Amino acid sequence: MSTAIALRGIRKTYGKNTALDGLELDVAEGEFFCLLGPSGAGKTTTLKTVAGLEQPDAGTVELDGKDMRGVEPYDRGVAMCFESYALYPHKSAYDNLASPLRSPRHRLPAAQARERIGEIAELLGISALLDRPVGRLSNGQRQRVALGRVLVRPARAFLLDEPLSHLDAKLRQQMRAELKAIGAVQRTTTLYVTHDSVEALALGDRIGVIRDGRLVQTGTREEIWYRPSDTEVARAFGRPRINLLPGVVTQDGGFRSADGTIELPVGAQAAPGTDVLIGLRPRDITLHGPGHELTGTVYVTEVLGRSVEVTVRLGEQQVSLVAPRSDTTGLRPDDPVRLSVRPENLLLFEADRPERPGRRIETR
Amino acid sequence: MTLRKRLSGWLADAALILYFVFALFPIAWMVILSLKPTNQLFSTYFSFSPTLDGYRTVLGDSEGIPFVRFFVNSLVVSLGAVALSLLVGLPAAYASARWRFKGSENLMFTLLSFRFAPELTVIIPLFVLYQKLGLFDTYVGMVWVLQLVTLPLIVWIMRSYFADLTPELEQAALLDGYSRKQAFFKVAIPLVKPGIAAVSLLAFIFAWNNFVFPLILTSNEAQTVTVGALSFLGGDRPKYNLTAAAALVSVVPPLLLALTIQRYLVRGLSFGAVKS
Repeated sequence: MSTAIALRGIRKTYGKNTALDGLELDVAEGEFFCLLGPSGAGKTTTLKTVAGLEQPDAGTVELDGKDMRGVEPYDRGVAMCFESYALYPHKSAYDNLASPLRSPRHRLPAAQARERIGEIAELLGISALLDRPVGRLSNGQRQRVALGRVLVRPARAFLLDEPLSHLDAKLRQQMRAELKAIGAVQRTTTLYVTHDSVEALALGDRIGVIRDGRLVQTGTREEIWYRPSDTEVARAFGRPRINLLPGVVTQDGGFRSADGTIELPVGAQAAPGTDVLIGLRPRDITLHGPGHELTGTVYVTEVLGRSVEVTVRLGEQQVSLVAPRSDTTGLRPDDPVRLSVRPENLLLFEADRPERPGRRIETR
Repeated sequence: MTLRKRLSGWLADAALILYFVFALFPIAWMVILSLKPTNQLFSTYFSFSPTLDGYRTVLGDSEGIPFVRFFVNSLVVSLGAVALSLLVGLPAAYASARWRFKGSENLMFTLLSFRFAPELTVIIPLFVLYQKLGLFDTYVGMVWVLQLVTLPLIVWIMRSYFADLTPELEQAALLDGYSRKQAFFKVAIPLVKPGIAAVSLLAFIFAWNNFVFPLILTSNEAQTVTVGALSFLGGDRPKYNLTAAAALVSVVPPLLLALTIQRYLVRGLSFGAVKS
């Protein structure tokens, strides 16, 4: 597979603020790449740099292997969905969707354009809204019009900036499921920006985690999930959040918690005495399963529907776990419980430092 | 308590009415003056036999003063000045709102300084220049010199309108496949239309009311109403009734314009001023 979008050492500053700090990114032809990060991490700047709307201070943008320096946005052939929608407020939804198809570069005959817009509107469930001025649409409807304006035309790449963020929960879930099934999206390289880890895991062929203008980790959802590069990446994915318990590496490469109540053989590839954090995902801890056993007392239980989140006190620590409801019947606060963790599900990290989150340590 | 409240209400009303009289009296006086026959000009204040002769004389060209031509001149140079300023000023305002380039702030400040420099400081050199260049007493010369009045106004007000538009709208147009020029004309301009209406009217009024430039830089061919109306005061007896009629006639175009675009005006004047 060839590289469709390549960013090499992109730097961009606004006054004293560094938005992008040597960003490196490769998106393969036809790939759906999710860029995940908190607000202010540089996600939007990355998209605008690819689109040519922002000029990087240093570094190069390549599309299909061609350096895009000096190439105007309208000649890059990419389509972008703005987080602010950026719909033309003086036009109807239809005219907004028609805008690309009336431009000199993507012009279609009016009849064909009407047909194409009809298809897209159908797909996004906005057929009934086409005559309305965009000022009279709800945020969710505007967002779908904005997405439609991107999908309506052929593009070398789609750049989508939080395109589902303003939809209500039900519609978001539905659109999330449908988005990747859309033919145009399947065929076209897509760079998708979100702050929602569920969206990233659900949609991304690959995921890039961006922080402070740099990509911290890129990989498939399995790589990101099972081999997070540091504690922050581990914290970013999964709800409830991963349990991170402080401790040290013992002589034989095991883990002992700071208060001495938890001992786990992990085969840490680190010097004995190193300060570490052990990571246990709430869904990897079971109440009656195989694996290492830990004993504690129930602190609180919360029913999430078919499953239950149980918070358990282990010495001075608390860990949360999610168990099927049937396993938790009769559990009350202060009841003693035995937890099990499979050794392959343990993650080990260096302790967090003020200047950077703790990196993952290899285990045997 | 209620009595005091009512009393203060009356007082406020009285003060308002007083101010109203004070503000409107000059206009009423002008109307009265314009309706007086010449022979009663200096003999009475309010009791006279009203006549439209003043207006007939002014519009009928009978005193040897071609007021109708002055009126047309005023229309031509004011509209011309506004049109030229829009043509040049809109792109300038857009560029200065969107991009910081070398010297852009100095350029904008220089433009603004045309507004607060008194016209009298430049009028004599301008007079000499106009004489030499053959621009004296011409439409072109007047339209040109009125740029000092209209251009800074249009650039500065429209700049804040453009600055209030999010650049993402034009960016979206660029990605839709439009050139920068098309993004400007198809997206930015339609969205600042209320601003254009408001600022055009303001600029028109400023140009129309300008006195010093036509006073010095025109003599007859391109003279405007502001200077022309004063011609009736010359001669052996000042004809105040004719001056008043001429002044009232020359109020009509700005007034009509203001009434037609009133709808945009209030919104337009407040819209650009407040940054959200």
